[in-house]
Amino acid sequence: MFVGLTLVRSWLRLVGLVMALLVCGRSVSGVAVHDEKSRGQQIYEQRCISCHGVNGQGTPQTPAPIFGDRSLADLADLITRTMPEGSPEDCVGDDAVAVAEWMQGAFYSPEAQTRLNPPRLELTRLTVQQYRNAIADLGVEFRWRQAIDSERGLNAEYFAGRGLRRDRRVIQRQDAVVDFQFGAFSPDGEKIEEEAFAIAWDGSVYARETGWYEFVVRTENATRLYVNGRSAPLIDAWVRSGPETEFRGARYLLAGRLYPLRLEWFKFREATASVQLMWKPPGGVDEILPTRHLIPKNSPEVLVVETAFPPDDRSAGYERGTSVSQEWDEAVTTAAIEVSERILAGLKDLIRQRDGDDAAAKIREFAGQFAERALRRPLTDQLRQRYVDDQFAGANSAEEGLRRSLLLTLLSPGFLYREVSGADDQFDRASRLSFALVNSIPDGNLREAAAAGQLRTEQQLREQAWRMVNDPRARTRLLEFLRSWLNLDRLQDLDKSDQHYPGFSAQLAADLRTSLELALEELVATERADFRQLLLSEHTWMNRRMAEFYGVPWVETQQDFAAVPFEPDRRAGVISHPLLLSGLAYTDSSSPIHRGVFLTRAVLGRGIKPPPVAVAPEAPELSPELTTRERVSVQTSPELCAGCHRMINSAGFALENFDAVGRFRQKERDREIDATGQYEQRNGQLVRFNGARELAGFLARSEETRRSFVRQLFHHQVQQPILAYGPDTIQRLAELLEQHEFSIRRVQVEIAVISALRGWNSNSERTVAAGTETR
Amino acid sequence: MQTRRDFIRRLGLSSAALPFVSNLSTFAASGAREVRKQRLVVMFSPNGTVPWDFWPDEEGQQFTLKRILQPLQDFQDRMLVLKGVCDKVRGDGDNHMRGMGCLLTGIELFPGNIQGGSDTPAGWASGISIDQEIARFLQSREETRTRFGTLEFGVMVPDRADTWTRMSYLGANKPVAPIDDPYQMFRRLYGQVQQREVLTGVLDVVREDLQKISRVISGADRQLLEEHAEFVRGMEQQLRSAKDGESGHVMPVLEQGIREENDNIPAITKMQMELLVNSFVNDFTRVATFQMTNSVGQPKMRWLGIDEGHHELSHEPNENKEAHEKLTKINTWYCEQLAFLVRRLAETPEPGGTGSLLDNTLIVWGNELGQGNSHTLDNIPFLMVGNGLDFQMGRSLVYPKVPHNRLLLALAHGFGHHLETFGNPGFCKDGVLTGLV
Repeated sequence: MFVGLTLVRSWLRLVGLVMALLVCGRSVSGVAVHDEKSRGQQIYEQRCISCHGVNGQGTPQTPAPIFGDRSLADLADLITRTMPEGSPEDCVGDDAVAVAEWMQGAFYSPEAQTRLNPPRLELTRLTVQQYRNAIADLGVEFRWRQAIDSERGLNAEYFAGRGLRRDRRVIQRQDAVVDFQFGAFSPDGEKIEEEAFAIAWDGSVYARETGWYEFVVRTENATRLYVNGRSAPLIDAWVRSGPETEFRGARYLLAGRLYPLRLEWFKFREATASVQLMWKPPGGVDEILPTRHLIPKNSPEVLVVETAFPPDDRSAGYERGTSVSQEWDEAVTTAAIEVSERILAGLKDLIRQRDGDDAAAKIREFAGQFAERALRRPLTDQLRQRYVDDQFAGANSAEEGLRRSLLLTLLSPGFLYREVSGADDQFDRASRLSFALVNSIPDGNLREAAAAGQLRTEQQLREQAWRMVNDPRARTRLLEFLRSWLNLDRLQDLDKSDQHYPGFSAQLAADLRTSLELALEELVATERADFRQLLLSEHTWMNRRMAEFYGVPWVETQQDFAAVPFEPDRRAGVISHPLLLSGLAYTDSSSPIHRGVFLTRAVLGRGIKPPPVAVAPEAPELSPELTTRERVSVQTSPELCAGCHRMINSAGFALENFDAVGRFRQKERDREIDATGQYEQRNGQLVRFNGARELAGFLARSEETRRSFVRQLFHHQVQQPILAYGPDTIQRLAELLEQHEFSIRRVQVEIAVISALRGWNSNSERTVAAGTETR
Repeated sequence: MQTRRDFIRRLGLSSAALPFVSNLSTFAASGAREVRKQRLVVMFSPNGTVPWDFWPDEEGQQFTLKRILQPLQDFQDRMLVLKGVCDKVRGDGDNHMRGMGCLLTGIELFPGNIQGGSDTPAGWASGISIDQEIARFLQSREETRTRFGTLEFGVMVPDRADTWTRMSYLGANKPVAPIDDPYQMFRRLYGQVQQREVLTGVLDVVREDLQKISRVISGADRQLLEEHAEFVRGMEQQLRSAKDGESGHVMPVLEQGIREENDNIPAITKMQMELLVNSFVNDFTRVATFQMTNSVGQPKMRWLGIDEGHHELSHEPNENKEAHEKLTKINTWYCEQLAFLVRRLAETPEPGGTGSLLDNTLIVWGNELGQGNSHTLDNIPFLMVGNGLDFQMGRSLVYPKVPHNRLLLALAHGFGHHLETFGNPGFCKDGVLTGLV
């Protein structure tokens, strides 16, 4: 049933085909297709135009524009039942089909909308994430990068006595976590006396997500913690004082990077000794900092901008930098000061100044390199004059000149905006390739390739893309996409009724999150990153607490989490993962609507408009004789609701075997669960499924899922409307996914190449360098 | 919880502090209201005094200054000598630790892991210090609010945080580190002004670049850049008006290249005092502490011909005349520094008011001990100069061993902050120290 679709390139032709089939099937009249179309138009102009406007754009009394992605049959059905308002009987059957078909072609369908409002590539500024990544990578460029291998834990040094004196170091080893209860004793009765001893742990911490991390040290003794930088401790309780035994400090960390960490600790004459290194990751709970986030290797300090930025526009479904505001301008100004001050504070290290060096010359050289990397292109003489020489000329000292130069660079349009030099050359291609894959500025390798003219052909671009797609930052970027595809940021703060679900604690909710994250990381770590694994995987990552709650046999392992088979005959992939099932549910009951909206909108890519009226869900207690399925069906039965909810509900019902915490159930209050569902595809064909596994199987096979996935992935990587890259780009990428064993990585590469080949100003008549190129 | 954003916040350039102008309007506001400014400086020097060369023999208005206080003779009618005020706080920590940690807090130290030469180990003080309490009070009212609220100056404070190096506390377990590098203090006071100047120049170029690019692109894209250029222009204007608002402010010129080392103590002290006077002229703060070295401080005052460390000398018995001659010289030197500050305040007119800065400033000179060799916390050498708090000056007063908490209370009351108790309430039963006003 899907083969035919892949052959049809144009949706319009497809609609025509389906229309013809429908007309034949219903055999309603013998009127020629050509006349039908004009009949549809005639009806629209007679009965609809006064409210909906010429192109469905709306009128003052009915301002909502009409467009969408319903199938023809579905749209005709809607018209039959509801239009014209007040007398729907006036336009039914053939008439409704005729007008629906005409609307599809004229303005209703996404393709018609594209034709009416052709999407264009827009000038954009760096998104907040891109800004932060760019600054961090500018810092990395002048330092070094630590590779992440499989070793985990921290290096530990144990000292006899209260000082961290090398000559009194008696033990060196690796500790998997810092979680020690020494009581009144020494960690080593032979080498260390219990009255006073000290320990230092060293290594790096890996951040999974971007955000504020709280670090927590619990001890009745003395401690000091450094995270991402040795200039000042994040926690300083070296003077133990009073009854406090918990110390906290927060750092903003960017996803997918390593940060140097050092914990120092000592006991001196206190009755007992203990120390725990914990953290609270974004959206998480206090927990022992897990082994999988600790790396027993040093890493350089990362230049993380902590200035708060206003969030980017996400109205198009992806973050994009198409608007500016005063708050944003203030944020970039403050951030420019923050960055320049931090660079100046660590300058000697950054320029690798040695005795005998001409410091002023090195500082000026640094300013030039910084500008070149930040602006993503070589400095012409004019640019060097403007961004470096002029700034140093008016300054009292080299440091002062550098401050001016850094501020100018960091506030310049060449840094803040994407490709505004007007050159549209290989350096612009390098930028687009890099932003599309790692969401940051090009690295040295790309810069060199651009300078050598090696980003000219598609093949060259593709080779670079393959190199970069294996960068940890590209994997992080894919993880971020998968989170956004799954709408994970809407599933924070899971809270369940203690009465109905005792044992569903905040810790368990955090475990569920970790469990899903590990599944995504597992996928992203594979070579292909097989899309089907998302929907069909039969194991789940669990720790002991989760296993006990969900009734899965638990075998103790070295690691806190392990992949275990979890009801493989009932579940498949992410759609039956307990995090999604609990997140898409109320505190005391499941929610087929939330689940259905997720399935149809996020997975199948259907456009669903917000409900026309706000409706509070009916409390289960009010109709205890009804199942959730029945209650939801009754509440959404009015015509106003049913238009969308028929589709939403009948997808969500397939997950009714799972309660509000994602546990399997055969019955709901003694009534058998009915987990049958259905979905009417855009081609009008109806698919039926029973339960999560059949649903997942359909989704994994569905072309609609693939199209939706590649479209969202494209927007995530490129931040420009995909339709601006040609009407068949979605189809092409969806086919590519299918043809290459569902390799997401292959699609990532292709998207980067497509984006690299075309800039927002590619079609501009302007060829002469402008703006920053001239004085 | 300390984050890097605090650094930016201190710079005064965070979004919260924008627009810049609002930062400065506070200067104007305080002048406009014509409320008399009142200021407090607490100066600290360590290791006790030499009692027989410090305390006047007489009580009352007629008294003779002994050797140590001689440098202040021009200001005898503007000073109060307070004998019989004692640090009665006991508990954990040795006397040097409690002398320091309780001097301005009047409350016990927490048990901890800092081991002194005797007694039990201790941690930080368990309450706020009076300078911070008064600053908090002044900052809570618009007419007395200043940019910093309080400044903590230091001179050669060792680079380690412990009970001997901290006397100012934001609260229990919250010691405040004094800034003992004059250049760092300068950046704190004037860095913002310098940043603004640099930024104004840079933004001008940025706006030009934005305009050049927008000229050659079309439609909606151009609009984006034009909006951006408009915001940049707005910020430039704010910066310029901020600069205008500051034009009356004096920025001191510091001698460059003074390294932080023992022999530079006299130079650093002068630089820090100039910065202190300047921050009063600019009304950056009304409250300041000035911490010379630290409790148990060991400077070697070679410029006085003394090669031994101060603390070491202070342990010598009274019979060691040679050592005590040196100790008297050391304490006299500290008094000279105080006299320098007093003179600078006396000769500097009160901006927007009448009289001098000294007319509206009270300086309290204190110490962590009464005398070094006995480590007594009785008869802490308290001395006050200046007319900031309407005390009746020009007297030598003797109290019957009263807790110093009552003196701390008197300082708060002098600012109109009528606390019932301060520090350990057990030492406040007799209320504010009497006989001052």
